[in-house]
Amino acid sequence: MKRSLLFILVIIVVISGALFMVESFSRGKKGGPSVIASVLKPQDDGPANGTPAPDFTLKTLDGKDVTLSSLKGKAVMVNFWATWCEPCKIEMPWLVELQSKYRKDGFEIIGVAMDDSGQKEISDFARKMKVNYTVVIGSEKVADLYGGLDGLPTNFFLDRNGKVIDSFKGLRSESVIVDDIKKALASETKNASLAR
Amino acid sequence: MKTKYVIVLAFLAASIAAGPFASSQDQQSLSPAKRQFVTAAPVSTVAVRSGHPTPVTFTFHIQPGYHINSNKPLMPELIPTQLKFSLPSSDMVIGRVQYPQGQLMSFAFDPNQKLSVYSGDFSVKALVVAPPSASSGSYTVHADLKYQACDNNACYPPKTVPMAFDVKVGSSSKSSSRARPSASSPHIHN
Repeated sequence: MKRSLLFILVIIVVISGALFMVESFSRGKKGGPSVIASVLKPQDDGPANGTPAPDFTLKTLDGKDVTLSSLKGKAVMVNFWATWCEPCKIEMPWLVELQSKYRKDGFEIIGVAMDDSGQKEISDFARKMKVNYTVVIGSEKVADLYGGLDGLPTNFFLDRNGKVIDSFKGLRSESVIVDDIKKALASETKNASLAR
Repeated sequence: MKTKYVIVLAFLAASIAAGPFASSQDQQSLSPAKRQFVTAAPVSTVAVRSGHPTPVTFTFHIQPGYHINSNKPLMPELIPTQLKFSLPSSDMVIGRVQYPQGQLMSFAFDPNQKLSVYSGDFSVKALVVAPPSASSGSYTVHADLKYQACDNNACYPPKTVPMAFDVKVGSSSKSSSRARPSASSPHIHN
């Protein structure tokens, strides 16, 4: 009887230990839970660098349609934001300044508002922040096209051919944004017929 | 017989050991947009005598590394944390919902700006009131905690934590039933 109990105990310890090691190994190898998460959710990654940015047509705050692909020939920053997002508010004055500085070189920012609140709240907020670039009202469909938008702000930088050259979630230094804008502006338009 | 006993026990051990692993992977496999940043602690059955307001406390846990706006954020565009109740009957009232004061904190994305937030654990207090005319019986109250979370450099879309708790009116017995996952609509259990 004692021998069988000991045998059971050994089996329990061996199985538990093996499973614990498997878990520890998975975590350690991938660098922790957050990295496991990112490895397991490729569908949430959005358009990769070098691929065409998914096209969309969204309404501006005064009801006009804006189609992303119509901006081919320009360097574009697609900035997903919301009025309730404090980090988004931090980068807005930078974007205002950068839009002014690089507009003449063919740079456009499209701010996609992901608020559930109404158009008036978004308009009032944009006015308060002195936004000088195009703001459109976002949709779930567009969010899905861009990887589900895990968090805000999320920024995509497109070259003059509409291809993604960089993207990131969360607030980054202004210099990172400037570098990406310069990279996008430096790109050549492949189709000469596209207007700049 | 012994062999069967060993197999059953071994299977049990494997299940116990694998359980936390599987659930932690499931949780981690969710993107932040789909993950809950706040969880609600179970609420024991609230025994209420008609005409006597009875206090109830709801405790919530915010995942480490995240914060949510307090019930009174300092800026109008920020989304306040709110607990909304769906009452099962006109025989019951939830009153004096009291939220804790937010901690005034600044974050890496703007060290000069103070925000009123909750982080870690926080509790919301309320009074459950059954008027003298209330019918005796057991009721389930459903509630939704609405919140919007951020970490140090990004914010996540507003979310809702559904919860439910039982209220026993007109009985002094205190059962120890736990809050259940929310159902789609309030129910009355008489």
